[in-house]
Amino acid sequence: MSTSKSALHGIRTSADYFISTFLFGVMFGITAAAAGLENWQAMLMSATSFTASGQFAALEFWAAPLPLGTIALSVALVSSRNLLLGMAMTHHFDGHSLGRRIVWLALLNDPGVVNSFRMDAEVDRLGYVTGYGLSMMTSWLLSTYIGLRVAHVFSSFELGAIDFAGPLVIATMMMLFFKGSKSKPTPWIVSGAVALLLFEAGAANYLILLGSVASGMIVALLQARRSESQFRDRTDG
Amino acid sequence: MVDTSSTLTAIAMMAGIVYLTRLSGYFVGLQLRHIRGIQPVLEALPGCAFMAILVPAVRQGSASEIVAMICVILIMWRSSNVVIATGVGMAVLLFGAPWLDALL
Repeated sequence: MSTSKSALHGIRTSADYFISTFLFGVMFGITAAAAGLENWQAMLMSATSFTASGQFAALEFWAAPLPLGTIALSVALVSSRNLLLGMAMTHHFDGHSLGRRIVWLALLNDPGVVNSFRMDAEVDRLGYVTGYGLSMMTSWLLSTYIGLRVAHVFSSFELGAIDFAGPLVIATMMMLFFKGSKSKPTPWIVSGAVALLLFEAGAANYLILLGSVASGMIVALLQARRSESQFRDRTDG
Repeated sequence: MVDTSSTLTAIAMMAGIVYLTRLSGYFVGLQLRHIRGIQPVLEALPGCAFMAILVPAVRQGSASEIVAMICVILIMWRSSNVVIATGVGMAVLLFGAPWLDALL
């Protein structure tokens, strides 16, 4: 499938997460208005950063004088999973120019990557993820705008209960991974167990992420080596 | 009130950081791709990151948050419908929290 058709396919299959992203965008608009951002500033932030968790993290520190170092560290930490999304796509963006990859990676997004693994091999992954990202960006900008416009209506509402919406959306992506995966889910189970152990030990969030991901990587590597040797034994036998 | 120049600096800095995280992961992966058997390891990474976020969130969650999470997992398991799963989870958080958190 050509890159442009794959991008269109990405847009077409993004309806589910378009809606959930929309919800977050409205919440971001409301929160940004409450934090004192002007409408154009909030829109500029959404257009250039395009990261729900990072933008919410930044707003937590939005008071004069702006603690730029704290904001930078906080945004870097919550965006660190982008590193892993990019690494996951290493073998899937071949066949495109370096320039195109560098520019289009700006639209790398979690649901696009998760869903790209469920597509047929003929779908061009860079096109698909970029199409998906364009759809997410449209949803994010539209909903930020609406959130800013309706912020005054919700100024007296308690939206704290929705803080947990982020983990709920991540759970939907994890389930898509579980159901769509061709390999055993052992690395993810081990990652979860290590995350729990580190959490109970009182480790900081970044250490939980590091420990959990490192243990998952080791298990995945062992799993890959074992299936490779089993395959070799079978072909030799 | 935050002044405009500080706001613009912060926004530019955020955009740069986020873009670098998107870009650098891919290029780190390119450096690792020659390692034998690395592809399934790299492809397992997003799931590992999701688990590292989910498990602590659920562990310290309130009763309503845990019920919402169970609903989302069950709906996704049965139907893979993201909209229904997220909608039901959000409804539990918004409308179930007052009495679920008081009950348990």
